[in-house]
Amino acid sequence: MGNLKDKYCIVGVGETDYSRNSGRSVRALGVEAVRKAMNDAGLKPDEIDGMLSYHGNDSTTAPAISHDLGMRLNFYMDCSGGGSSTEALVSLAIGLIENGNCHTVALYRSMNGYSEARIGGTPAAARPAAATITGPALESLSYGLSSAAQNFQFTFARHMYEYGTTSEQLATVKVIHSEHASNNPKAYYKKRVTVDDVLSSRWVVKPACHLLDCCVETDNATCIIITSADRARYLKQRPVHILSVAGRVGKPFQGMHYQCDPITRQAGYYGSRIVFRQAGVEPEDIQLTGCYDAFTFTPLLLFEGFGFARPGEGGDYITSGVMRLGGKRPNNTSGGHLCEAYTHGMNMVIENVRQLRHQADDSCPRWQEGIHTYDHREGGCRQVKDVELAMNMGWAMPALCSSLIMRR
Amino acid sequence: MTMYKGMRFVVSPVDSEHRGFYEHARQHRLMVQKCSDCGLLRGAPGAGCPFCTSLKWTWQQVSGKGTIYSYQIVTQAIQPAFRDWVPYAIVLVDLDEQRRVPWRNAEEGEYISVRMVANLVKPNDPTKPEDQENVAIGKRVEVCFIDLDDKLALPQFRLSNEPPEHTPWRAPV
Repeated sequence: MGNLKDKYCIVGVGETDYSRNSGRSVRALGVEAVRKAMNDAGLKPDEIDGMLSYHGNDSTTAPAISHDLGMRLNFYMDCSGGGSSTEALVSLAIGLIENGNCHTVALYRSMNGYSEARIGGTPAAARPAAATITGPALESLSYGLSSAAQNFQFTFARHMYEYGTTSEQLATVKVIHSEHASNNPKAYYKKRVTVDDVLSSRWVVKPACHLLDCCVETDNATCIIITSADRARYLKQRPVHILSVAGRVGKPFQGMHYQCDPITRQAGYYGSRIVFRQAGVEPEDIQLTGCYDAFTFTPLLLFEGFGFARPGEGGDYITSGVMRLGGKRPNNTSGGHLCEAYTHGMNMVIENVRQLRHQADDSCPRWQEGIHTYDHREGGCRQVKDVELAMNMGWAMPALCSSLIMRR
Repeated sequence: MTMYKGMRFVVSPVDSEHRGFYEHARQHRLMVQKCSDCGLLRGAPGAGCPFCTSLKWTWQQVSGKGTIYSYQIVTQAIQPAFRDWVPYAIVLVDLDEQRRVPWRNAEEGEYISVRMVANLVKPNDPTKPEDQENVAIGKRVEVCFIDLDDKLALPQFRLSNEPPEHTPWRAPV
């Protein structure tokens, strides 16, 4: 981001409850999340003039949300997209402020991801099974291939073949994230699990996805608010500064990326060059990561792609304990998509913002004052001590990534 | 109306990247797009040539022989239409034609092959999935077809009698 480093901040975050039965419209969820982020930042409705969202025809639009909160916008855009969109929209928001269209931008994702529109195409009450195969789906749905677990599985299987990556290594991702979630009162799954729990859960797609290798599906909305560092210093929260951002960075042959070897190379291979160079830091400097853990395999590939582990050594990175709370570089301290909630990427960014404020909303009685016990045992603290520098790694598929580096 | 596993199978008359593919399949020919300018083949349907940007292309018949490059076993009816198939295999097949062409930025170590996705089906019945124990990376396969009606067919792959390209590998699960 060159000279834009440190010029923009995340000043407000908010989310609804994480559930599987919201019983409310995506409009109601979205309004609540945006309002919470606005209040978190100490902003009034007329102090937000930009709005961005992303969706898969399962959300509500910025005109509806802004209407319900009495905002008049100078720019809005509702983008098609899922994973990797959070960081991409942060990038767009910075551009909107930089070019003078807006001064403060809210970005949100609202979804009834379990009760209304399940991402994998599995029928939910409000969205029946596909009855027609046409267009690009001729190449996939004709073969019973529609869900994310299926779409990514060729990469997962090939990685296991080429590098000997094991189900036990993958299960460890879920184990560690469940430990983190046990210290997160908001998490949908707060129970700690073992490697055996994962390996004995039923298969969804072999060879890499038992049920517990897959993330939770939930109903929720999430919101982040971005403004300039100049404005941020007058707001309610300690600003979290954006050092760099990369949004939707791809590999060649995006249309059918399995044509392009090595298929085990995540697009972070390219994204890392943008975020580390612009931020002026190295992977070794990062103290906290947030990975898009749609599956236990996706953090492994992101760690390799972004250079935290060499190709083929992601499994060792996971079992080394580095990414556990109390380790050198904890990952997904809220529990992430595997345990906290599925928000299409935003809850991991929200978590890193709270971590950098030193206000992880755990069970420590005085977390709001930034006072923590740092006792990471079950039901305890999940604040990373003295964390200054955090990174998010977004995933949409093996051939597409995004990233965000932030500092306290 | 063309149906497949209870779903409408609709190839629009203006779907220029798909129409010919399924019509040729009905003649039991597996086709890929061939660029009329640089001559390279494409593993996935597209409107332009990713190697040279040419918009001119023709259908080119390929042998239909290849090697399993990766695979998956679907053990749950994520799509209800496939309930009677579970567990079934989806395979990523490296076709014999045009393997590992260096991509433009050769220094990145990226190579482009002609790959197709299909189910691995029984050699004697393309409407039934192959047993999961028989699915492995490195095994040789050949194309076969499920006729949908008089005009369209769906290509599938089945294990061939050729020896495997390398020691076959399947996950120990």
